[in-house]
Parts: sequence; C-alpha cells; structure tokens
Amino acid sequence: MKINLRSMLAGILLVLFLAGIVFFIKRNKPTPVSPQPSVVGASGLPTALKVKGSATAPVKIVEYSDFECPSCRAVQADLQGFFKNYPGKIQLTFRHYPLTSHKWSIYAHQAAECMSSQGKFWPYQDKVYEKQPDWANSNVPPIEILAGYAQELGADMDRFGKCMADVAVAREIYAEKEEGNKLQVSATPTFFLGQERFVGPKEMQERGENAIRKVLGLPPKPVVVKKEAPAAPVFQAGIPKQKDV
Amino acid sequence: MSEKSYKVLFLCRMFLGLVFLYSGFTKLMEPIENFQGGMASYEIIPYAVIPLLARVIPWIEFLFGAFLIVGYLPRISALVLAAMSWSFVLLIITTRLVTGALPADCGCFGEGSLIHLQPYQVLIMDVGNTFFGICLLLRKNHPFSLASFLKAKS
Repeated sequence: MKINLRSMLAGILLVLFLAGIVFFIKRNKPTPVSPQPSVVGASGLPTALKVKGSATAPVKIVEYSDFECPSCRAVQADLQGFFKNYPGKIQLTFRHYPLTSHKWSIYAHQAAECMSSQGKFWPYQDKVYEKQPDWANSNVPPIEILAGYAQELGADMDRFGKCMADVAVAREIYAEKEEGNKLQVSATPTFFLGQERFVGPKEMQERGENAIRKVLGLPPKPVVVKKEAPAAPVFQAGIPKQKDV
Repeated sequence: MSEKSYKVLFLCRMFLGLVFLYSGFTKLMEPIENFQGGMASYEIIPYAVIPLLARVIPWIEFLFGAFLIVGYLPRISALVLAAMSWSFVLLIITTRLVTGALPADCGCFGEGSLIHLQPYQVLIMDVGNTFFGICLLLRKNHPFSLASFLKAKS
C-alpha cells in the first residue's frame, strides 16, 4: 500500500485534530476531587455510622461499593487484612454505588442503610457479602432474605420495615452514587486514598497497600517470589466468582 | 464490488469505527485507573503490563475508529480493529477457560456510559467485529472515504 506525501500529511492533521479534541474536552471537564465526607444521611443520622476505624487514623480510605458485585465481596478479605496489619492506622468510609446491571443490589443497599440507622451497618455489610450468592441469585426481590439477615443481627424489625419502604432512603443511596459519578467512579469497588484511586481488588492489592504504606512512612511491600499458601478466606464458603456468564 | 453493493460494507465500516471510537473516547475521558481496574479483573493479563496497556489501548481504539469512519487508511485501520476484536475474543475465552469465570462487567465502557455489556455479549459483538474487519481488509477500494478522495486528487 502506497502512502504518498499528501496522504501522510492528511494523517498527521487528522491525528492532531483528534488528539486536540480529546485534550480540549478533557481540559474543560471539571477535575474530580477526592470525596468529601457528607454529614447527614437520609435517615437523619450521621454517615459516620458507615465509617470504620479511628477518626485520627492517618490513612483515610473511601470505598464505593456494590453489594451484588463479586469483586466487592472479594476485596473484603484485603480490607480486613489492612485493618489487621495496620491497627489504628486506617479509617474506611463506605459509599453506596449500586450498579445498574445488578437488579437486586438496590434492595441490599437500602437494607444496609436501614441497618446503618440502627448502628449495625458493618455487621450487616459483612453478612450481605458473606451471603451474596444466596440473595443475589434469588428469582424474586430478596426483601425477605435481607430482612432475615437483619433479624439475625437483632434489628428492630418495625423500624427496619418502615425504613425499607422509605423512598427517601433510596434517594439518599442514589445521591451517594451520584457523588461517585461526579468523581468519575464507573466500576466497583473503587477506593480513594486522598487523590489516588484504586479500582478493583487486584489494583487494591498491587498498588493500594503500597499507597497505605507510603502514607505511614513504611517502605513498599517486598515482592514475594516464593508462592505462599493462600490466606484463610474471610467467609467460610470462600469467594466465588460470577459463574452465570 | 460496485459502489451500490458497498452499502452494507459501508454500514459495517461505520459500525466498527463507531464502536471503537466511542469505546476509546469514553476511556480517554475517564481516569486511567478505571480501565486499569477493568483489565485487572481479567486475571490472565500480567499485572506488570496493565498500566502500559491502559494508556495505549484507548488511543488505538479512538484513532483507528476515527480513521475507519472517515476512511483514512481504511484497510490498515480495519486490520488493526479486527486484530483488536479478535484479541478480545481470545481474552474472554482464555479467561473463562483458565479461571473458570468472567468479570461481571466487560470493562469496555463503564457505568457512566450509555452501553452496558456483559462479557458474553461483548464476545458476540467482537466475533462480528472481527468478521467486519476482515471483510473491509479484503476490499481494495473503499468509496466514500478520505483514501479514495486523496487518490482521486493525486
């Protein structure tokens, strides 16, 4: 195929034009900043109930997560590992980001938000992740299953039921998701550590922990050459991946 | 093939070009980490090459998608996009065979985009795109293209 001078020039101009468009749009797009903590949720309670770890912890992580997402479930083991390996040094804030492709996700998020208003967000999120294959594969909206988990954790079921029917709670969840969209979150789990973002469990394992160590003034984690036996799973059933594809 | 019968191939050219143009553009507009995370979810890609691929692939998709639409180097563009489509097909199949599972989302467009595809849907689309790309590659002349315009001028 012959490429003459005219053609080459046209190509260069085309590339410059296209690259110019990209850079122009990107430049004029508002730059996402690191997430700001919101003070009050729909339930009228501070969102601090969805914060784990000391307020004075030097490492502040914000997590945008979806309860029906298998990767979000998988990353819980790493998060628990961070709390164990760096005690008192990490604070984790949970933000709702129910994905459009996960049809039952919003129910789980609403249930978790309702449990948050009863001060039981974290045990409930652990339960929802642990039992993810059970409720996520349900053929009908898994409201009863989710209510069952709440009951197991000793929730006030009257309050829980009213809260599950409250549209304002769902609105609050989507408002949190919208905050994520403004930060250009597009997949779950997405973590923010200051200005840095980490998307997915692999990124969190590979880059996230070293970013934590950097904040703590520790050297990067040494690369383990020898293959070690995998750590015990957080959930007894292990962390299954999506098999329905 | 006459200009009249090129109509179907022209539509294929537009479709293939638009898919890659849009896919590349959405990735270029988002933080690089989003695509890095999407690629890392296909566990067979070595992590060391992911940051480089995440920077290069969106540009290739965007530029060659645009090239194919305007018809600049249409055969080379078709070859590049067909090769990319085929590599995605192989990636999805190999990931499924090696790990026994696939990521829930293909990682092609992102939550904020208008298109949400699962990996098996992308697999079907990429097989089609490979076929379109090969058809376009085999065709020597591409009417309604910058290439034919430049050829007529010279």
